[in-house]
Amino acid sequence: MCQTCGCAVTPEASNTSVAIEVLQDLLSANNQVAAHNREHFDQHGVLAINLMSSPGAGKTALLEATIVALRDRYRIAVIEGDLETDNDAARIRAHGVPAIQITTGTACHLDAGLVHRALHDLPLAGLDLLFIENVGNLVCPASFDLGQHRNVTLLSVTEGDDKPAKYPVIFRASDLVVLSKADLLDVLEDFDPARAAAALRALGRDTPMIHTAARRTPALGPWLDWLERELCAWRPVARPRSMIAAAAGA
Amino acid sequence: MHELSVCQALLGQVADIAKGRGASAVDRITIEVGPLSGIEPELLASAFAILRAGSCAAQALLSIESTGVSISCVGCGAQGPAAPNRLVCAVCGGFRTRIIAGDELRLRRLELRMPQSRSALTA
Repeated sequence: MCQTCGCAVTPEASNTSVAIEVLQDLLSANNQVAAHNREHFDQHGVLAINLMSSPGAGKTALLEATIVALRDRYRIAVIEGDLETDNDAARIRAHGVPAIQITTGTACHLDAGLVHRALHDLPLAGLDLLFIENVGNLVCPASFDLGQHRNVTLLSVTEGDDKPAKYPVIFRASDLVVLSKADLLDVLEDFDPARAAAALRALGRDTPMIHTAARRTPALGPWLDWLERELCAWRPVARPRSMIAAAAGA
Repeated sequence: MHELSVCQALLGQVADIAKGRGASAVDRITIEVGPLSGIEPELLASAFAILRAGSCAAQALLSIESTGVSISCVGCGAQGPAAPNRLVCAVCGGFRTRIIAGDELRLRRLELRMPQSRSALTA
């Protein structure tokens, strides 16, 4: 049978199949919205930080302590992703900071479209720093760009120190790893920060790892230092109000 | 189960391309899913079996290609295979490496069913 005399043409073969090369990122639609979000942040000079962790690692507690430490110097807002409830957003608002709740229902992650809709309720013009608290999950959030400038992943010391080896995608995507609840290290013999650091290093990136404690006696020094460095690097002209005040008083 | 979201995005892309080319249906979808993409191929295939119903890809085969992870060392330049959670250079032990394969998540190829008249016109 051939294609020239028509002998190959049967009723079943009346349609032809053509193959085309596409080579298009499967998440290109999300990535376009993420780029759009990032433009919004850039235009308003807002540093956007995507905060990720497993459930209960202390993302909200870290944000609460951070707000208390920085709210006099920087204008902060939070986008809260949660499957259900707006409990976390209520905790943030109690500190006098705007918080937009995204209730994802059964969705296990935030995506750029959800963040974009939340931005409609958030006046970026008055902000320095936006935290996006992702849904507690070490798998799904890693695949979705939201338009953030930095990814921060919390690893609480009540989890295993091999988490970076178990969840390489999210830890590899992180610009900073925060060992949270570090004040519990004394009583948690199983968690070895050196093992966690080695597992992180094995992912082929020089990602810094710092310790924090957000409850009882908050110990946030390295975290606040990192934030201030990122803010200054992000906006070279921006100086914290405390520095301006110190310079004015000098 | 973010594979559902990714599958929805895939079907949206496929529908757009099929419509743009005037295809009557999609016969085969070939995608690349690397071990470091964050996507589980089997879960994506399960999602596809559910979500394709009623779409132009309702009868399509989904082929998932997966390459292994390969890295390139920033320090010594060596290239080679690596495990997803062991991305250090096998030659010099350096930990500054780049992924050269294994994080793909993309639509590679489509086989579209074209109406005969249209394919005759374009032939």
